[in-house]
Amino acid sequence: MTNAQEILQRAEQLRRELPEGFRDALVQSLYAEAQRLTQRAVHTRGDRRYDLDQWIDRLVTGPITGLLIMLLLLTVVIWLTVSGANVFSDALAQVLFGIRDLGRALFQQLGMPWWLTGFVWDGVYLALAWVVSVMFPPMAIFFPLFTFLEDLGYLPRVAFNMDWLFQRVGAHGKQALTMAMGLGCNAAGVVATRIIDSPRERLIAILTNNFMPCNGRFPTLIMLATAFVAAGFGGALAAFIAASAVVAVVLIGVGFTLLMSWLLSRTLLRGEASAFTLELPPYRRPNFLRILYTSFIDRTIFVLLRAMSTAAPAGAVIWLLGNIHVGEGSLALAIARGLDGFGRLFGLDGAILLAYIIALPANEIVVPTLMMIYTNAGAMVEAPEGVEAIRALLIGQQGWTLLTAINLMLFSLLHNPCATTILTIYKETRSAFWAAVSVVITLGTAFLVTFLVATAARLLGLAA
Amino acid sequence: MAELWFVLLILLLVGLGLLLPRVGLFARYRLWRSWRERERIEDALKHLLNREHQGRRASPESLSGALSLPRGQALQLIERMEARGLIESHDEQLRLTSEGREWAVNVVRAHRLLERYLADEARMPLAQVHDEAQRREHLLTPEQVNALEAELGYPQHDPHGDPIPSREGHIPREQGTPLTDWPLNTPARVVHLEDEPALAYQQLLAAGVKVGQVVQVIERTPQAITLTDGTLTCRLAPAIAANISVAPAGAPKPADAVPLSRLPLHQDAVIVALDPALQGLTRRRLLDLGLTPGTLIRAEMQTPFGSPRAYRVRGTLIALRKHQAEAILVKPATL
Repeated sequence: MTNAQEILQRAEQLRRELPEGFRDALVQSLYAEAQRLTQRAVHTRGDRRYDLDQWIDRLVTGPITGLLIMLLLLTVVIWLTVSGANVFSDALAQVLFGIRDLGRALFQQLGMPWWLTGFVWDGVYLALAWVVSVMFPPMAIFFPLFTFLEDLGYLPRVAFNMDWLFQRVGAHGKQALTMAMGLGCNAAGVVATRIIDSPRERLIAILTNNFMPCNGRFPTLIMLATAFVAAGFGGALAAFIAASAVVAVVLIGVGFTLLMSWLLSRTLLRGEASAFTLELPPYRRPNFLRILYTSFIDRTIFVLLRAMSTAAPAGAVIWLLGNIHVGEGSLALAIARGLDGFGRLFGLDGAILLAYIIALPANEIVVPTLMMIYTNAGAMVEAPEGVEAIRALLIGQQGWTLLTAINLMLFSLLHNPCATTILTIYKETRSAFWAAVSVVITLGTAFLVTFLVATAARLLGLAA
Repeated sequence: MAELWFVLLILLLVGLGLLLPRVGLFARYRLWRSWRERERIEDALKHLLNREHQGRRASPESLSGALSLPRGQALQLIERMEARGLIESHDEQLRLTSEGREWAVNVVRAHRLLERYLADEARMPLAQVHDEAQRREHLLTPEQVNALEAELGYPQHDPHGDPIPSREGHIPREQGTPLTDWPLNTPARVVHLEDEPALAYQQLLAAGVKVGQVVQVIERTPQAITLTDGTLTCRLAPAIAANISVAPAGAPKPADAVPLSRLPLHQDAVIVALDPALQGLTRRRLLDLGLTPGTLIRAEMQTPFGSPRAYRVRGTLIALRKHQAEAILVKPATL
């Protein structure tokens, strides 16, 4: 009877005649219908669970008890992760490094040239083994614990408790959870921001997640804190000071997260859509099978595979840099010398910068790479055992000072996300722009802060 | 010999940096130039359309004033626009051609849709919305404007109550009555707030006047007009109050209704309405969560800092921030 054009015109006309609140009426009628159906179909009896829920809620959101419970749980989770991972990492490393020796022996027996053996087993395989042995155990402990708390219904209460802080910087309370997840792994933290259903707040959480030091950076921070900040103190006091230094670094990370969130919400993300919603679901008994599945398949294995795919090529590059010789040293050494002047500007040195550039795929291999450059070795090597040996190498031979150690801790905290995380940001935001922004703001902050600290220390005569 | 190669290499790089299509400096400069030209033309078209609506004449003088452009540049701009068939000038009077009017209406459409987006979805303070939209309106293609309209659900008014032109360029004429002419003690719904001049608009915002609010004038003297919405009362100078347009309203807000944020803890209430000024993503979320008028709600928990608070609605616990709870009107259940 009419053609398409007329129908469209009629629709346009009718649209203007709709009352402005017709969407409200629509939702209202849907809910009314749903309510009618539930009243007919669902019968409720007196509810004891409800009272229990309320009692727990009062406890976990109380001003003092809530804070205590939260800090206690965080400490327990981190302690279990760090101490448990140590045991597993050593065992796993022994197995994986054993395979490397076997593989090398096999290649030699088959009469392969030395460079092929080295490239495959000391380059690609070693990087893979290193990343897996350092990354897998803490994630395999941290993520099930985290998922357990999530399944229990406790985590939304943390978001509720912490929202006042995030409200002020234009972010979402659930960012507290993605930050905690970032302590496990930043890539997993970025994926976890899916729980934030408001576009602007989610982008803020993604772009600032890297300011939380992940499992891969903790060993570096602990080593530096033990060997430098706590040096000169004895026994339990040294351990306490080292622990405080690590906590201080984490708190600095939290500070930068909040500062950057505030800046982003007022500048770059001003025009992004935003709305706050937070549901506090009832507590329920965790489903252990689901916890294992979510934490292992969705989180641990997913991150591990992504990390392995970036670690293998990095292993190849690292081996090549360590084994191609120019003059009397390796190519790595030559590049490190070239970067030295630039590195000194930030209280670091050329080798550290180079280690961060080529260990981009995973923070776990930064220290082994650095040691390789320092010792002019042909493959990644572990830091020497014991505080004295580390100090002898770094201070005695490489001229480190306390400033180098502190600035390396700051740089480790603030520098760009690892390749796995950058890739994850790209996949989650589906935008190369936001992936680039995440690198620029973190790297910019890292260089700015280390430069200011180094300059201040030099002006005050505290460092050369 | 090596130096020569270096010189050639550097020359090549500099040449590429300058001349590469799209990313080269030269291409960038041309892009920037064309964008600037578009901004000027569109601002000029808007000025002419505005004058047309006010029934006033537009002249080269008024144009150079509105765009704060020196007279010489304004005349050149007029010449270029005439050449493109956008305007006609007859002895110092400027008129839009039908082509020019179409373009002008499209800019107004982009501007008002952007204002809607910024106010509702990005929750930008109303006082900043106009300037930000002014900047972004020149960057959108017509397809993007149409997509924005669909995404926003075909809104009919911008946050100040101005009608948004349709895709076909039709602007609905809607006449509110200035508040200064409205009878005393008669409920009226605010339909439009004039957002220019910005200073007067900011006074209205500061007084808490919002589009969609139901108000009553309770006193009128030559010095001031006093109005109330049942909770807040404010006094405005007549010149300021004239920027508020109103239309007849249904029933005023029930006297015993309070914002949800002021509901005492552990007290039941029934939702009366959501603030009409609250639109977009936040409103949709609240409705989707089941916060529809007529629903029972109970304030259950509070953080030590007062915001957010958790409310029990339809058997679930939902946390709302203070500014959200302020936009929900509830009637406390009588004990």
